[in-house]
Amino acid sequence: MDPILDVQDIHTFIGQYHILQGVSVQVQEGSITALLGRNGAGKTTTLKSIIGLTPAVKGKVFYQGQEIQDMHSFDIASLGIGFVPEHRAIFRDLSVEENLKIAERTKGDLDRKREMIFTLFPDLKRLIHLGGANLSGGQQQMLAIARSLVADNHLLLIDEPSEGLAPVLIEKMITAIQTLSSESTIVLVEQNFLVASQLAEYYVIIEEGQSVKSGKMQDLIEDSETIHRYLGAA
Amino acid sequence: MKNNLRKDLPRWLTLLALLVFFVVAARGMETKDWVITLLRGLSVGSVTFLVASGFSLIFGLLDVLNMAHGTVFMLGAYIAWTVYVRPDTFVDLLTPTLLLLSGFTLSTVWKRLVRILKQKGNWLVIVRWAGLAVGIAAMIYILPRYPITIWDVGNYSQSPVTYSYLADQGLINLPQGLPFEEISPMAAVIGLMAASLLTAFSLSTFNSRSQGATSLSWKDFIVYVILFGLGVAALIFNDSLTSFLDGLDTTWLFLIALSVGVMVGVLLGSVMESTLIRPLYSRPIYQLMLTLGLSAIGMEAVRAIWGRPEFVMPKPSLFAGVGDGCPATSLADLWTNHCSTIMLFDGRIRVYNEIFIPLVGIIVLVGIWILLQRSRLGMIIRAGVQDREMVEALGINVQRVFNTVFAMGVGLAVLGGGLAAPSMGLSNAMGETLILNALIALAIGGLTNFPGAALGSLLVGLLQQVIIKYGAIGIPIPFTEIVFKPTPPLVPASTVLLMVFVLLILPNGLLGRKE
Repeated sequence: MDPILDVQDIHTFIGQYHILQGVSVQVQEGSITALLGRNGAGKTTTLKSIIGLTPAVKGKVFYQGQEIQDMHSFDIASLGIGFVPEHRAIFRDLSVEENLKIAERTKGDLDRKREMIFTLFPDLKRLIHLGGANLSGGQQQMLAIARSLVADNHLLLIDEPSEGLAPVLIEKMITAIQTLSSESTIVLVEQNFLVASQLAEYYVIIEEGQSVKSGKMQDLIEDSETIHRYLGAA
Repeated sequence: MKNNLRKDLPRWLTLLALLVFFVVAARGMETKDWVITLLRGLSVGSVTFLVASGFSLIFGLLDVLNMAHGTVFMLGAYIAWTVYVRPDTFVDLLTPTLLLLSGFTLSTVWKRLVRILKQKGNWLVIVRWAGLAVGIAAMIYILPRYPITIWDVGNYSQSPVTYSYLADQGLINLPQGLPFEEISPMAAVIGLMAASLLTAFSLSTFNSRSQGATSLSWKDFIVYVILFGLGVAALIFNDSLTSFLDGLDTTWLFLIALSVGVMVGVLLGSVMESTLIRPLYSRPIYQLMLTLGLSAIGMEAVRAIWGRPEFVMPKPSLFAGVGDGCPATSLADLWTNHCSTIMLFDGRIRVYNEIFIPLVGIIVLVGIWILLQRSRLGMIIRAGVQDREMVEALGINVQRVFNTVFAMGVGLAVLGGGLAAPSMGLSNAMGETLILNALIALAIGGLTNFPGAALGSLLVGLLQQVIIKYGAIGIPIPFTEIVFKPTPPLVPASTVLLMVFVLLILPNGLLGRKE
């Protein structure tokens, strides 16, 4: 089967720094793929290069067979790719409702998805008129994910969903992402290997801007040597 | 909550201090004086606000300090004056402008064409430069030969100053329209159309990043046909349109002048953003130099076209009545006699300057507020001020929003210029004074905060008028015989002092938030 997302040997600069020096990622439709690696390895930049925020200068990115690396971010997103950035980048000056509403790509998107979003994140229903700045960290993270669900996205790029969350909330987050994966394909950046290993079917390890290893998560869990070498965790 | 209050304490104290200052200042005046000072402050504040709000919207969303904003304000005044006092020139200019613009409405067609040419190899480069060369050559050939009845800046009897003087006397003296001599009307229309299509296409090829799916839309063609048709119609009905505008009541003509100004401003803003500002995003120093340069160029261009001396713009008839029943003593009088002044607390209030301008200021304030809080565009602007990238990653064409906001900001400044022209007169320096006031107002209110822009502008306007008033009545210094009269140079100085005072206590301005 052709992968839904095929990142082929991309190179990305941020300013004068050569951050990605050959990253390749293949993502199968309907799966969850985790990008693993140490801090500063280039995982977040990989996601941003896919969505076009830090465009790749070399290499190709195919989404559903279409070459997208030279397109504007907003055109890439409009193909059906949702992006959940790290640090829960929700809009603080907008209410929860507006934070969702702004993600509409066609009129009425939110009304169609409202039910689904509130079943997934019941807390948001009660906070709907609150300002984004007044939410707790966990609520912001949920809102950030919910925001990526408003439009019809087939691929979700989720950056560090468990970062800074209390263990109880991490559990909730895992359940939510698992529920989502029945509908869409997910690429996940996750520092917390326990979370990543629970969620993902596939993994790609990125080390110093290069993708060095990829495969099935199941195999990685049994391969403690690789884990130790690249992720520094046991 | 308590914590919040403590954090906001300096803000409340500063606001209180300002309030006390103005109350004390008002107590030192007679009733009619402080009423008039208040209204004049509102008036100056409104004009400042029109410039400051656009500046702040642009800076908040695009991170561009548009130093040309004052020049745009001045340009607005001159454009409004031209339409108002010389409708014939305006009508003559209409045809070439509309024809040249029309080609740029077909952007989706050009995109499609670019894509086809890209597949054919190197043709694109050849077609691009050839198209640009031919298009510009056609413009250079046709435009100077196109008959436009314009004044001669060097000739006193037909300089803008003379026209402005005559108009102030109630005479609008239009010269005979010029006939087509060196070029036939047909050739001019076809030539301009071709020039427009060629340049529009060539310029669109420079957009290097490929676009998503673009479908040809009938809407573009309809807009094209409308613009083209209007241009040709303006040519055919040139004389009757001119005499119609000439015979129109000046209130309507003034409205037309303002709308034309705003349209030109919006267009100018849109072109400025897409051609000059866009390549320089994330290079703030270059932007600053660019906009400063543009401001100098704009000023010289205005000097070259309209000449150096200051001139006046007569007030529209609705606010120009004198004689029987004027100054009005009641609203009913005002309405029936269209008086230029009204008596309030035994003081003479100029209706246009001190009532109409503040009214427009308030309407614009409310309008923008509703736009920001209630519309989707406003939502995107508020979100974009915080995090542009995320807005883009949601699939929103931020470039288009940037363009709209820049155009809107420039449009507001142009509106301000047109509105201020009848009250403060036209001069080449009017933009510089105003941009300075606007910057000070923004520093006081908070640079990217919209209500802050309004509050800052109001404070600047009020403070200036208070100082001007005390320049006339004087401040008695206690325990001495001395009466201190603030001199005119103290007027701008006082606003700078206020800014320093506010910024020392609140580095982000009165309503600004910590960055």
